[in-house]
Amino acid sequence: MRLANSKTKSETGFDHVIQNISVGTPFGRKALKEIEPFMPGQEHQLREELAKVAVLLSAVSEQPGKIEILDEIFMEVKDITQTVGRSAGNALSVVELFEVKNFLIQMKRISDIETALIQYIPKELILADTTAILDILDPRKDRINTFYIYDEFSEKLASYRKEKRELELEIRKYQKELRQQIEKTYGVSLTPRFEILISKANADMLEKVRAIPELEFDSEDYMTATYALRSNEAIFAVKRKMEDLNVLIEDEELSVREKLSREIARCGDTLLRNGLRIGELDLILAKAKYAGAHRCVEPEILSDHRVSIEDGRHIVVEEILESKGKAFKPVSITLEDGVTCITGANMGGKTVSLKLAGLVALLAQHGFFVPCASAGIGLSSYIHILIGDTQSMQRGLSSFGGEMEELKDILDQSRDNALILIDEIANGTNPVEGLALTKSIIGYLDRRKYITVITTHFDNVAVGDRVRSMQVRGLAGADMEKLVRELRYANRRERIEVIAKYMDYRLYPVGGGEEIPKDALNIAKMLGIYDEIIDHAKQILIKGGN
Amino acid sequence: MGLLRRLTGKYRTLSIVGMAKNAGKTTALNYLIEEAMDEGIRIGLTSTGRDGETLDLVTFTEKPRIFAETDTIVTVPVKLFELADAGLEILRMTEYGTPLGQILICRVAESGYVQIAGPLNVRDHKRLCAEMMSLGAEIVLIDGAIDRKSIAAPGISDGVIIATGAVISRSMKKVVEETLHIVGLYSLPELPDGDTRRRILESRESDQIMLFSADGGARTLDLKTGLAASRYLDEVIDGDIASIYIPGALTLSVVADIHPAKFKHARFIVKDATRIFIESAPWQHLLKKGFQVSVLEAVKVAALTVNPYSPSGYSFDHEVLLEEMRRAMPDIPIVDVKLGGD
Repeated sequence: MRLANSKTKSETGFDHVIQNISVGTPFGRKALKEIEPFMPGQEHQLREELAKVAVLLSAVSEQPGKIEILDEIFMEVKDITQTVGRSAGNALSVVELFEVKNFLIQMKRISDIETALIQYIPKELILADTTAILDILDPRKDRINTFYIYDEFSEKLASYRKEKRELELEIRKYQKELRQQIEKTYGVSLTPRFEILISKANADMLEKVRAIPELEFDSEDYMTATYALRSNEAIFAVKRKMEDLNVLIEDEELSVREKLSREIARCGDTLLRNGLRIGELDLILAKAKYAGAHRCVEPEILSDHRVSIEDGRHIVVEEILESKGKAFKPVSITLEDGVTCITGANMGGKTVSLKLAGLVALLAQHGFFVPCASAGIGLSSYIHILIGDTQSMQRGLSSFGGEMEELKDILDQSRDNALILIDEIANGTNPVEGLALTKSIIGYLDRRKYITVITTHFDNVAVGDRVRSMQVRGLAGADMEKLVRELRYANRRERIEVIAKYMDYRLYPVGGGEEIPKDALNIAKMLGIYDEIIDHAKQILIKGGN
Repeated sequence: MGLLRRLTGKYRTLSIVGMAKNAGKTTALNYLIEEAMDEGIRIGLTSTGRDGETLDLVTFTEKPRIFAETDTIVTVPVKLFELADAGLEILRMTEYGTPLGQILICRVAESGYVQIAGPLNVRDHKRLCAEMMSLGAEIVLIDGAIDRKSIAAPGISDGVIIATGAVISRSMKKVVEETLHIVGLYSLPELPDGDTRRRILESRESDQIMLFSADGGARTLDLKTGLAASRYLDEVIDGDIASIYIPGALTLSVVADIHPAKFKHARFIVKDATRIFIESAPWQHLLKKGFQVSVLEAVKVAALTVNPYSPSGYSFDHEVLLEEMRRAMPDIPIVDVKLGGD
């Protein structure tokens, strides 16, 4: 059973965090992509994972220079999994051997850094020693990441190549001597290609060159004749020998590649295991750096099912606010088995609080630090956020229909220790049935061993003994005079921001009997809805109240 | 002293471009490589991107293989690496990708034939050349585009070597004239730093014709290109206009309907000489009427190579062609790629 579906991960902002985790290596990217949550019963392992993040976070601040070097090496690491796989039974190409050697050198450098940071690195992520195979691929031991089928790989190869070079030199020497001799004897000059080109109009010259026995006719057109150095049997013999050598060299290079590939295949498991370790270290380091950059703390993993958030910040919303130069007002909330209702004003951030609870729980269960002053998390078996979306409408369902379909899923899939987050259920249908349905759902969920949070506009829905009510203060404590004054000078876009500024997003526990603040008409008025309409609405309210 | 030795002091990167297909660009490149070999100059070899040469990519036919001497630094995409006849030591796998795989920087360990290729954009190309120099190349030769018209950007190198030859025309006089014309375009004055230049550079992305008046005013035209817009241009160029920036190609049709009297006070500005598509004779005609053009980026012509052979079978006398060329362009080193020397 999976912990959360993809919609829950994206709606809570968990996906956004994942996308911003910057791992450097392909192994790290794979580890991040395949990240698995810790489920109830795995509290011990999760605490260990979080402890690793904590230790690396201290390395980031205490050893920034070494961490930076590690980052740089990580950026250069390439995935050699396929190449290692191919090494068994195949001769790797020169490019592949280059990549493996490169990887080995990077592993050596990572290993050196690990040694220097030994007190920070989890034991199981220390890389296995691969010096032996590196020595094989780097016979000169100069530890530079270049590769060639060096002469050092095979004495035979070295001697073939030496012979070939000598023959080349022999030919070139012969040609140069001959050129000198011709130039000296006949007073003509040859091109670097040992050719001589004569205009056909120059009959004397043509006659002269024709008579030079060391030259032979090469080609001509109607303007120019080209003469080249005459080859002799000795030169032909040398050229034949070079061709033979070429074949021998190619064969020997292949057998060197085969030999090296076999050696790589032999320690393939070690290489792949080291790749996994690099990936894990990369991911933990990335988690630590994210925590550092976003002021996240290590959550306390509880043994009972509870979610307790002290001054939590929803990272995605916070980023948007900060880009506008504003601060996120932290939210504190404690959730236990049973139903918690969040009521309160429009624009009061009820939904953000709901998402925050989901985000913090998901992050913690995936071994991440959480954006809170402190947090205690008991592991959930299932996390689901039910929130109005546009997808169901695209599928042709009304928003109510889509909502009910999803609710059915939640009811079917929930089990003990589920965390269920519901945003304004049944607000798309008539208020009479909507209220009845909401109450009934709350009653059903309250009898289960689930943590349920429901945001709602409805009053007096907090039924049942264990149902707790939390309320967003909204504009209740705001200086309305000041707010109205500020609004007067704001343009349309600024108005919403001004209201947001005066909004108190914090949650307060309330008793069952309290009414939720009626801010809807206030806000509508502030946003410029005509007085005529607002006043009429107020009259209707009074009449209804009577 | 050979041509390359003389150029090595002055230029770090040189691209070799042909005046036309078969103008002898590859022959010129091979000539320079041989010279480097003889003089012991350690060169780097790369090429510009392959846009417009997809056929070559697929068939591998036309792309010339180049014989590279030991210790030459070459850039080879992964998929062409295995095809190399030379022994190549991989020095670095770069981040620059091509349709043929990532570019590898290699040192030639055993001399032989190799197919080279470079990155597709100018910025990567510059960085690649710098990397080659840091790995030991004294000068980098860039196998440029097949003909002048498709040069990706002249800004890619410090200077260009133009390969010209019999292929241009059966008339030697015409070959010399057209070559002189191209060299002339390359030597057009660079627009000096100032308000006009700054404004053009700022809004270059928008690809719009810009008009600048003598008192410093500027406006853009909605016309995207100058093609077929000549009449409209004639209307908007009044006595106050001092210069006109043409973002695209400067062709005869752009200037055809502009009253010649306006040429004297209104200077045309183009990105670089490769944007001008006006042949020698009409160009001279325009100049006589007072036509003035400046470029944003000037291109240095480092040398000319001439090839007296045309693939269609005719050829010129080596000595005569060389002599004519040198008489027309006394300040530029000119070599015959078949004869050598200079």
